[in-house]
Amino acid sequence: MAYSIRDQTAIVGIGQSEFGRFLPDSQLRLGAKALKAALDDAGLTRADVDGVAIHLGWPLGVDYDRVAETYGLDLRWVSQTWLHGRFVTSAIQQAAMAVACGLANVVACVTAISFTRERQILGGPGDAEGTREDGGTHGESPPYGLTAPAGGAALAMQRYMALYGATSAELAAVPIAFRKHALKSPHAVMKKPLTLAEHQASRMVVDPLRLYDCCLITDGAAVVLVASAERARDLKQAPVYIAGMQGLRSGRDEFIFAPRGLGINQQPARREQPPERDLAVYRMAGIERRDVAGLYTYDAFSPVVLFVLERFGFCGPGEAASWVQNGRIELGGELPMNTSGGLLSEAHVGGWNSILEIARQLRGAAGERQIANARYLQWGTAWGDSVIFRSSR
Amino acid sequence: MSEQTKPLPRITPDNQPFWDALREGKLVLPSCAACGKPHLPPGPVCPFCFSDRLEWRPASGRGTVSTWTVVHKEWFPAFAADIPYNVVQVELEEGPRLTAKVVGLANDRLRVGLPVVIDFDEAREGITLPRFRPAP
Repeated sequence: MAYSIRDQTAIVGIGQSEFGRFLPDSQLRLGAKALKAALDDAGLTRADVDGVAIHLGWPLGVDYDRVAETYGLDLRWVSQTWLHGRFVTSAIQQAAMAVACGLANVVACVTAISFTRERQILGGPGDAEGTREDGGTHGESPPYGLTAPAGGAALAMQRYMALYGATSAELAAVPIAFRKHALKSPHAVMKKPLTLAEHQASRMVVDPLRLYDCCLITDGAAVVLVASAERARDLKQAPVYIAGMQGLRSGRDEFIFAPRGLGINQQPARREQPPERDLAVYRMAGIERRDVAGLYTYDAFSPVVLFVLERFGFCGPGEAASWVQNGRIELGGELPMNTSGGLLSEAHVGGWNSILEIARQLRGAAGERQIANARYLQWGTAWGDSVIFRSSR
Repeated sequence: MSEQTKPLPRITPDNQPFWDALREGKLVLPSCAACGKPHLPPGPVCPFCFSDRLEWRPASGRGTVSTWTVVHKEWFPAFAADIPYNVVQVELEEGPRLTAKVVGLANDRLRVGLPVVIDFDEAREGITLPRFRPAP
């Protein structure tokens, strides 16, 4: 049997800068604030950090070498993923694997980004990747003017609506739920409630996505410290164990913003219940899906929140738009999601604001957002990767 | 990329015959001589059976809209005058899907399943972009 990473590693410290728009600080300064806060939180010092995992590098974020040099770190392991939101899970997984394999003792996952200063890289002429051979990674097709990631989410949602009769008003339940959560987060950028009428009256961006179906463009930093479970038990905070994980799915059956089989790009148009292979995260964690007390996801656009529910089988193919109605994904509902407001309403810190929230929840420190008796929380994305975290309380 | 010029596709050794044929008003698909399946985007091997034996076969140019969107936001200055404009994916009769646009139809009449036939945009810098019209 393969080695199991279950409960071998844990989040031992979390920290963040302020979240906001047009923050004056450099990304490196935002990152320094978050790293200091995370070290204080864990009761560690800068000298304890010997690994760094970077999810979003320059120009949006910070590169590993500048991080090490600027903060005076002495690293023996680094990793940096391609500059895309999708790799948040990969960064955590690589940190956990590096620690579990003895390549590092404490890995700092450092995300420090300024979207407002680097806006032009999103779908404009500065977004060179859209012209990649045969198109961008979200289905972009620059010769036809489809140049931003939102376009890919729109293509997927439009087909989903046609296949299943889902509506924009149903989709609105996602941003409305996350706005309610954001109103309970002191860090959230959005401060006012969102109504269905406001959602429906908001401007169309890329049909069927309206303004409030698209995530915020913000600045901020978040740092997550990962260490061995053994080390974690001697530190200041209750460990948040990494109980299970599974990797990013890729292949002709996959499109980044669609569940398998939706029929986008070259995906076969054949929806099925998720295969056992795509539910491996629950097996590694030693739990069933029903043991998950809350689900957190990379909500770049509201459709991907529907898709992650179907991807992991919380509901069947085509059912998610109706499944999310009536408060089901809100605090107090059957499956609270993105309880600090996510990218749609708290801030776009590359998804790491939701990782911080998972840690706070599993420490029992989420205040009025606390999910009662939260023992297992799942991070999972519409592109199929996942990490399940376990409380030590 | 210039802000005022619409981007053109990047021509590669793998997709060159596809674009060469379009310039002559023909749609061809890389097709596998071993398993028979066509594929897009054009690759160096058959993605289904990994054979190297590819040949370019003519496609009918008929298909259906498998999904669509209408862009209302200006992301790219060269497209500002076109807003709102549609972008579609067309499932060709042969199976593979092609991203393009539909002309000759109001955007509010776009729908999944709409039968379309290929048309060819006028060439720019030696590139002819495929586009589609509602099937007669």
